[in-house]
Amino acid sequence: MLNYALNRVLTLVPTLLAASFLVFMFIHLIPGDPASILLGDTATPEEVAELSRELGLDEPLWTQYVLWLGNVLQGDLGTSVFFREPVLSVIADGAETSVLLATMTMFWIVVFGVPIGIISAIRHGSWVDQATSGGAMLFASVPTFWLGLYLILIFSVGLGWFPSSGFPSLADEGGASNLRYLVLPSLTLAAPNAALIIRLIRASMLDVSREDHVRTARAKGLHPVRVAIRHVFRNALIAVSAAFGFTFAALVSEAVVTETVFSLPGIGRLVVQSILRRDYPVIQGVILIIVVFYMAINLLVDLAYASLDPRVSLK
Amino acid sequence: MSVPLSIALVFRGRALATIGACWLLVVGIAAIGAPLLAPFDPLEIDPFVRLSEPGWPHLFGTDHFGRDSLSRAIYGARMAILIGSGSVLIALVAGGLVGMLSAYFVRLGHLLMRIVDVLMAFPALLLALVLMTLLERSVLNTVIVIGIVYATTTARIVFGMTLKLKRDVFVDAAICSGAGHVSVLFRHILPNLMSPMLVQASFIFAFAQLQAAALDFLGLGLPPEVPSWGNMLSEERIYVTRAPWLLIFPGSLIILSVFSMNLVGDALRDNIDPRFKDDIAGV
Repeated sequence: MLNYALNRVLTLVPTLLAASFLVFMFIHLIPGDPASILLGDTATPEEVAELSRELGLDEPLWTQYVLWLGNVLQGDLGTSVFFREPVLSVIADGAETSVLLATMTMFWIVVFGVPIGIISAIRHGSWVDQATSGGAMLFASVPTFWLGLYLILIFSVGLGWFPSSGFPSLADEGGASNLRYLVLPSLTLAAPNAALIIRLIRASMLDVSREDHVRTARAKGLHPVRVAIRHVFRNALIAVSAAFGFTFAALVSEAVVTETVFSLPGIGRLVVQSILRRDYPVIQGVILIIVVFYMAINLLVDLAYASLDPRVSLK
Repeated sequence: MSVPLSIALVFRGRALATIGACWLLVVGIAAIGAPLLAPFDPLEIDPFVRLSEPGWPHLFGTDHFGRDSLSRAIYGARMAILIGSGSVLIALVAGGLVGMLSAYFVRLGHLLMRIVDVLMAFPALLLALVLMTLLERSVLNTVIVIGIVYATTTARIVFGMTLKLKRDVFVDAAICSGAGHVSVLFRHILPNLMSPMLVQASFIFAFAQLQAAALDFLGLGLPPEVPSWGNMLSEERIYVTRAPWLLIFPGSLIILSVFSMNLVGDALRDNIDPRFKDDIAGV
């Protein structure tokens, strides 16, 4: 197991370096001089010259990369052109919203996705199963922003139950009740992902239920519900946990859209706005952080998978 | 087996998938016959009928420029088909080649699959956003970007499937009877990959619609003047309270088309080589 873990971490290093190189190259691929791009339109020639020297722009590309990587490892991701603030603190400002949104979304996915997936697997072939499987696929076919807009129209504009946009920090006036701002966005974000989990749980439970140990459990007369939960669902969870990394990637992608629809001050909306503002240092920083996060989650998923299913690490 | 017979087999007992296939046919016909079918010019601006409700002569109503929504929706079918088939083509050709070559030539595979790994370290929409930032907004660039995003997943899937096929006896037989690398890859392995790749194509087609709509919505997809379902939603979303029908029609068109394509993909998947079933995730 330890060997497996070490091996996984070691193979991750080159991928991470290559990915960070791509992120570094982003600034160089934009037409124009990197120093003027990083400083924005309002910079004076002296400032541009100063930054060029700092970044080592007259040095070969790989020296520049090493310089950049050194800065990044010390937490220096550059300065936002728009905010005139360090990129890291701009990103940190959006972190609260995004993390709370993700947590709430995961809550809905578990609350709705898991029971529906189990029911649809237990009653597979029945009309209940056909309706939930079909419904799940339908939800996975809805554009996130369209769902968000209609939730706003029905529950904010029509019924007035939830606010339609923005999110004041939990530290602001209102405290925990500010979470109501995140109800509609998290439901929007949860819908397509819960659909994915439902179909996944159903498929892997059906796979497990064909195995011998399940037949044994049934043969010795255990209650069908007990078999379904203790023998089938628990084993099926292993396959489901492997899809968690994929869910994270889907969440990040859809959060970009959802945060824009609901004008949430999160990291996803920051990316979009930075692209529209041509605030390249922020785009670069956010993407680097998301990539590192994504790889870390994939690593944890792999390790969890290996410890749940010993056959994996022995391969 | 003849083609009509195998199509009949795929859709037998699958009413929903059959309806889906019929709907996609309708979209296809609308795309081809758009100039004949559309009652108005999709770009013609008429300030006197701004935001008019669905009725005669504007069956789907008009948008805030007074453009006819139905005509824009019909021309939007063109964009849907163009983006879907364009990105499928790029994803399958590029991803398929990389996957097959990597599985067949082990050393090359080490390098190519690491590159795929690196690209897959970026969540799909984020990769598309970054690439769109570097490129100009155009139909071709949108297709290329979405194609590249799905080429990575396709490469990984084809890699896995080719590895399985490579161990088969028929490959040994082909090599023994003197077939070269090109012949083994394209005359013996590729035909076996065709049907799973068709399934993958249908899922990419579906995902590409959602991806393109999201890019349009963020203002980073097709140029704003192009009549696409995503652009229609994106442009009219501020009128959602005054003219909700402007979002219902294009939204339903996207949902129906994506749902149909997913249903068709699902039906196709149940009819391919069972060894490959788990390789293709779909929805």
